[in-house]
Amino acid sequence: MTSDPNPLPYTDTKPVGASDFYMAINATFRFIHRRFGMEGLRQYWTDLGARYFSPVSAKWRAGGSSAIAAHWRAFFAAEPGAEVEVQESADCVVVEVKTCPAIKHLRDNQREIIPAFCQHCYFINEAIAAPAGFTARVTGGNGSCRQTFHPGDARVPAQDLNNIKEATSC
Amino acid sequence: MLGCYDFCGHYEWTFAWLDDKGGHDLVREYWDEAIHRDSQTHARDLIMGQGIEGMKKYWSHTLDHEAAGFAITHGEDVIRIDMLECPSKGFLIRNGLAQYPDYCDHCMGWIGPLMKEAGFVIDHEHNHRGRCWWEMRSRENLAPASALGELAGANDVRLRDDWKSGPIDHYEQSTDADDKQCQAAVTSPCSHHPQADSPP
Repeated sequence: MTSDPNPLPYTDTKPVGASDFYMAINATFRFIHRRFGMEGLRQYWTDLGARYFSPVSAKWRAGGSSAIAAHWRAFFAAEPGAEVEVQESADCVVVEVKTCPAIKHLRDNQREIIPAFCQHCYFINEAIAAPAGFTARVTGGNGSCRQTFHPGDARVPAQDLNNIKEATSC
Repeated sequence: MLGCYDFCGHYEWTFAWLDDKGGHDLVREYWDEAIHRDSQTHARDLIMGQGIEGMKKYWSHTLDHEAAGFAITHGEDVIRIDMLECPSKGFLIRNGLAQYPDYCDHCMGWIGPLMKEAGFVIDHEHNHRGRCWWEMRSRENLAPASALGELAGANDVRLRDDWKSGPIDHYEQSTDADDKQCQAAVTSPCSHHPQADSPP
């Protein structure tokens, strides 16, 4: 299989994104949580994963684990301040987020982070992964975490949201 | 993870999601409450505290940060921004993303309420193709928008050959995203939901 020259679904002219946009992402979560509650916020994340990110699902479905690993390598290379290792094995893809660029930037700028911030990674990842025949799990959070992607038929425990830490501002 | 590299894509998608859940009023509330009063508090602090000087500092920093093609000029009681290559709208056009009828409305959606509180009004036009201009003046200053090239010289985006390549939305001494008038009928208000942009 030849590697995808551009694993990301959307491209930009600048090599990394503008980190101040993390403030808008955090503010968007807070707004939706205030208006629609936790279930509404989770629905937003699921819809975002299933619809906006549907081109990602298509790439993962076509390219399997290699496409998942390539996606996250390219993704975090475009996120300013990210420190991440991506490992691909026969069983799964593991994304070790040593420094979450969003949490770091929000803290550096003294922003109040919505406590459920880190849950978005699970709900969006799962909504992208499921149509591609994979399932996602997240443990940790609040600045560093471990995200795994298993084949959909793998016998892995269901996601326990208690394994995702609440985000704090310091 | 939701990233900042494609922020403009999921930001624009979110307008459509909110519009579907709560209609146009919810989208307006989002721009004011989440963007103006939460995300952009750094802009708010600068502009509420320092007026035009704060605007110069904020937009010089943020447009440079976003790698925009832009020019900022100012005169007595006026600051003008010519957006020659909007990185945000440009990203959407290049990637064929258009879920919400007029993405460009979001700027007036959060900047308008901020200017209103700070005591300024806005003259503004956008052409839906990544080009726009803004002039902010004190609300007591009833001067019209500058003539072509008067403030920005050769950087005046209206002098570009492709300025009229898209339908132009027009605002005069406004602070409200819904005050727009269309180029085709400048004396008539536009619909809140004009036809969605189609990528070239």
